[in-house]
Amino acid sequence: MKRIAFLWGAVATLACVVSFTAPLSGHADAAPVAAPVYGVTIPPGYRDWRLISVARVGAPLNDLRAKLGNDVAIKAYREGKLPFPDGTIIARLAWQQVTSEENNNAIRLRSGTETRLSPEQVKKLLDESFVAGPPTNVQFMVKDSTKYASTGGWGFAQFNDSKPADEATHKTCFSCHEPNKDRDFVFTRYAP
Amino acid sequence: MKRIAFLLVAVGVGVVAYMAPVSGHADEAASLASPIYGVTIPAGYRDWKLIAVKQLLFAGKGEQLRAQVGNDIAIKAFKEGTLPFPDGAIIAAIHWTRVPSEDNNKVLDGPFPGTQSFVIGTRVNVQFMVKDSKKYAATGGWGFADFTDGKPGDKALHETCFPCHTPAKDRDYVFTRYAP
Repeated sequence: MKRIAFLWGAVATLACVVSFTAPLSGHADAAPVAAPVYGVTIPPGYRDWRLISVARVGAPLNDLRAKLGNDVAIKAYREGKLPFPDGTIIARLAWQQVTSEENNNAIRLRSGTETRLSPEQVKKLLDESFVAGPPTNVQFMVKDSTKYASTGGWGFAQFNDSKPADEATHKTCFSCHEPNKDRDFVFTRYAP
Repeated sequence: MKRIAFLLVAVGVGVVAYMAPVSGHADEAASLASPIYGVTIPAGYRDWKLIAVKQLLFAGKGEQLRAQVGNDIAIKAFKEGTLPFPDGAIIAAIHWTRVPSEDNNKVLDGPFPGTQSFVIGTRVNVQFMVKDSKKYAATGGWGFADFTDGKPGDKALHETCFPCHTPAKDRDYVFTRYAP
């Protein structure tokens, strides 16, 4: 019995550790405010989820993107399970694309010594090389086939700087995802 | 007590054995070591946490989309801004070809007419930086490795790693910053 009590102590300690590490976990997503229409809040710790894939959108958005999934999502992806089971959450992070002088210096160095490119060719390389800058917004898809039955089982949310976007924005989510009905309304595929 | 210990071991082994095949890429099975540095592919790296993403246009290779992921030591150092990175830090850079997405473009054409959307095509290679300040003292404390389809690149390729990273000396030879 004492041993069990000790175990509970250990669990409590672990809980403290978790709550201590929480502020480290990325976006300033402290007080959860629910997004309109679907009532989705920012899932704690999502920035630490595993990577599904990455993407880029050109002008006028000019951003770099990463999709992360909770454990339910990652398991479904790897096993090719469709539709996604209840409890699945997919997070889409996006950042402004910015050029990096450090990266560009490395490209210049490599281009000069190794590949001997012309200055015009080097410029072309630099013009198409970007890193992630400031975050733009984060979006979530939450699977609950009962609660969100009228929108393919998905609840949608977009947060700008941890504040939910307005109702009009959220009314566009499902219609935009509808063409991908065959893949349970999810565009992103798992990156090998 | 013995029974509980046995049970815990059995459960532990069972979980690991069950999860191993699920954890991603085929290149993790019995990895060969990279020349010069002797780095092998760290098990389970595809499950590591995301550091950042980027796009790079490489001479003769076309556009690539890239993701950097880190083991727990690397992620902690990134989040806390610790420099130099502590021994044991491993950063993995996963590189894919970049292809246009017709599916995405059709959808984006509504709200953002003419927008070009790109997704990943196929895996190109994966690179690792492994921090061991003693073993790799001559190269800033970092061991480097480049694997294509599970096979390490040649010696000549690995000779280019460290010189290429020297412009980032002030940041412990690491280009990638943590994406908030």
